[in-house]
Amino acid sequence: MKTYEFAGLEIRVDIFNLLFNKTMIIAYMLIALAGVGIYEIFELRYFSPAINAHSAGLDPTNPGLKEAMKLAVFGTVGEVSREVPWTLFIANYMYMIYTGSGVIFLVALAELMKFKVVEKAAAGFMALGLAMVFAGLFTIATDLNMLNMHWMLLDPNIFAGIWLMLPLYLVYIPFVLFEIYLILTKKRELARRLALPILIMSIGVDLVEYYIQARLFSMNTARHLWTEFPLLTLYFIISAFVASLGIMGVYSYLVHRKKPEYAHIMDLIRKGILFFISVLALYEIVAYLVVDKEWAFLILFGPFKYLYFLGYILLAMVLPFFLVFRPTKSYWKIVLASIFTIVGGYAGRYLFVYGGNANPMSNRFGVGYEKYDLYDIASTFNYAHPHLGEIFIVIGSIGIVLAVYKIFDSLFDIARLRDSH
Amino acid sequence: MNYAMALDYQNCINCKACETACKEENGVQLGAHKQRIWVGIVEGSIFGKPFVNLYPSQCNHCIDAPCVSVCPTNASYYAPGGIVKVDARKCILCKACMEACPYDARFVDDTKVAVDKCTFCDHRIEKYGTTACQETCPTKVRLFGDLDDEESDLVKLLKTKRFFVQKERSNTLPKLFYIVPDDEAYLRQSVSRDTTIYTWESFKPIYDRASRKRS
Repeated sequence: MKTYEFAGLEIRVDIFNLLFNKTMIIAYMLIALAGVGIYEIFELRYFSPAINAHSAGLDPTNPGLKEAMKLAVFGTVGEVSREVPWTLFIANYMYMIYTGSGVIFLVALAELMKFKVVEKAAAGFMALGLAMVFAGLFTIATDLNMLNMHWMLLDPNIFAGIWLMLPLYLVYIPFVLFEIYLILTKKRELARRLALPILIMSIGVDLVEYYIQARLFSMNTARHLWTEFPLLTLYFIISAFVASLGIMGVYSYLVHRKKPEYAHIMDLIRKGILFFISVLALYEIVAYLVVDKEWAFLILFGPFKYLYFLGYILLAMVLPFFLVFRPTKSYWKIVLASIFTIVGGYAGRYLFVYGGNANPMSNRFGVGYEKYDLYDIASTFNYAHPHLGEIFIVIGSIGIVLAVYKIFDSLFDIARLRDSH
Repeated sequence: MNYAMALDYQNCINCKACETACKEENGVQLGAHKQRIWVGIVEGSIFGKPFVNLYPSQCNHCIDAPCVSVCPTNASYYAPGGIVKVDARKCILCKACMEACPYDARFVDDTKVAVDKCTFCDHRIEKYGTTACQETCPTKVRLFGDLDDEESDLVKLLKTKRFFVQKERSNTLPKLFYIVPDDEAYLRQSVSRDTTIYTWESFKPIYDRASRKRS
């Protein structure tokens, strides 16, 4: 295979292998699904006849239009419900960004603590983390009205959590890319000299990232699940680490299982999972004692209880705990625990986003919920199912993870374990 | 100038003339759930005796509006008169303002692909001096006016009545003032004892402090 060297970086160039390999084919299929989702969402957002009902004047006999008008008058119109503005898009964005950043954060911590085996695998882990960050950004890009995005630059509100994302990612992504570059070129003098300060800075950038994410939620003063959850930044970090370790476990199984270092990597991941799910479990117990009871009750004893206890607590904490509690040579147990933490972690993010909106804002004077309409019933619980298009986009975002990672791997051979000296 | 509204909610008969007038005046998107103003209904019973309380409502045009602070593009802003407005051209549909609003006063106008909300009919204030919803109300529930003008009908009313606001603990300093009904039992049907009942004297310093802070 032809290789080029650029700034100390070895680049493998094989266009056919870059674009047409097993991973990329799967990625294409998933991204195609996302394409269908984007089409569905954009049709709903921009072209729905129920929304463009003014065209009734053009063809009032159109039966489709009649149905659309009926829906517009009596039903729920459009993409976003008034009571649940943030939905699966945000849950997936949170999951991808936090978990991806968590992988990068954990690798930086491990490097700082001189875990040699993690240093060897760092490039692959970091590229995977970055791929997840891109998938998160892809999800949120489909959620926003991109036609007006230029106002983020033309008239910025620099104190808003959402605006802060812009400079954050403009710094964060190049920074991580530079870290990966340093790892790939570690034998070079410059890389060796910069390694430690960059590592310390990267941990600082990771902390800022989680702080800004927490600010995004805690600014919504009306949603007490988000504002009263204690030390939200810390919660995001710990819960992200649990899912991140799961991702690292599955990744290690897929990429490193035939290498001699596999046992050591998996043992570290086992210890990491055990530690962070224990901390997360303590956090969950304390947090729901503090959070506004109207939100806590809906999640712990209300309509979300099955998702909370079976989807989140059981999968993200209880089952992995029993699987990794004792040191084991049966690494399938660690892989299984990793899969559980990935799925359970997702349930946790879903609950956090939907849970914030679960208690209706219509309890205005403290003695019961209002109804907005004579023919409705008063809602004591808010929930809106994600659209099919939204679900497709979320599945497609996994394709983005695979594609970005595989491009890195095809070009720079990041899956190879590198000696660090 | 600081526009606000008092609501003598006891007089509301749920005729929805205000909702209709608002849709007509402002060209609000078609749909039962796409409304800038609405009549909230609280039903219940006390010792088997049923009651229905009607709370006409809309955006509170808060002095410290959380929807304005969270907007990344300044699409949500304070217009003259302290009216909280949305510039649809700048809205990126992040929906953070909808999350931040404690009153569910915002919704997505799908025809503009942007968030929409009450504007206190600011386009007609100069000519008609009031909002479409007030003008159309047959039982004179609403009274629109300027809080800074001691001679306005609004301030005169607030000086003679007791009133309360929605979700005062959110610290948003809302500007919809619900007039306390003459019958205390009626009030307590759907207003908890935790809700602070203000007089103009007790409210004025809070309002002045907040206005100074914002200016």
